[in-house]
Amino acid sequence: MILLRLLIGAIIVIGGIFALAGTIGILRMPDTYSRMQASTCISTMGAIGVLLGAALYAALILHAPGTTVKIVVIGLLILTVNPVGAHAIARGAYRNGVRPENGMKIDDLGRDFYE
Amino acid sequence: MQKNRLSSVLSTFVVCYVFWLLLTWNFSAQELVMGAVVCLCVAWFASRMFIHEDPTWLFKPQKLLALLAYIPLFLRELWKANVDMAKRCFGGCRSINPGIIKVPVEAKGLYAQAMLANSITLTPGTITMDIVSENGKDYYYIHWIDVTTTDRVKAGEIIKGSLEKGVRRIWE
Repeated sequence: MILLRLLIGAIIVIGGIFALAGTIGILRMPDTYSRMQASTCISTMGAIGVLLGAALYAALILHAPGTTVKIVVIGLLILTVNPVGAHAIARGAYRNGVRPENGMKIDDLGRDFYE
Repeated sequence: MQKNRLSSVLSTFVVCYVFWLLLTWNFSAQELVMGAVVCLCVAWFASRMFIHEDPTWLFKPQKLLALLAYIPLFLRELWKANVDMAKRCFGGCRSINPGIIKVPVEAKGLYAQAMLANSITLTPGTITMDIVSENGKDYYYIHWIDVTTTDRVKAGEIIKGSLEKGVRRIWE
């Protein structure tokens, strides 16, 4: 039982570490798109870690299958909706003329559509 | 479309009803009947928007298995990309090398392309910014945090990894 609790705690902490990495990335990255890339860390591994830990806790310690299912549905919702939003934000930023200050190594989108 | 109307209503109903059962987690007769009525109403209106191609797609065993097999594959790619991205975050702005690159896509069909694009966006380090179709071939414009090669086909292989094969197994 105590081992199980430790395992669940470890999974949640791993999720938290990835969320921390993403947050630090948002603060340190130099341009809009790189910051968005860093934030993806939070919404994937951070969210999956925390929700997986919560789901295991609800299933194995609280014995509440309804709660477990709801947590899994929250996870699925994040995984399906998040990339749509990220794509829309990145595309909107590019269309409104946001460009990295340091330049990019290769810029096919700019070459094909915006010159 | 019109001839598939009944089967698409039915398959939407099944998906809705499974969600209802999972969310309520209550198997008294009252809940079951009420859920069926609500799901039928929703399925009647929503099937047009929910199903565009093949209504019985999810109920084919090999497609469902391919979908289930995609989950561990995707989680492995996600883990690798996340560890890599976390290192870059702690490493600071010297460790990145961003660019937007145009890569060819072999997956056919709107669902397959949307699913592949979403999977690519979900892996940290790559965001799909646009899809274009030229001379019958489709291309993604992908923002990539670490441009290691400017050769577009090779870059596509690195970015898509094993995801594309998994997606094609589901939808083709």
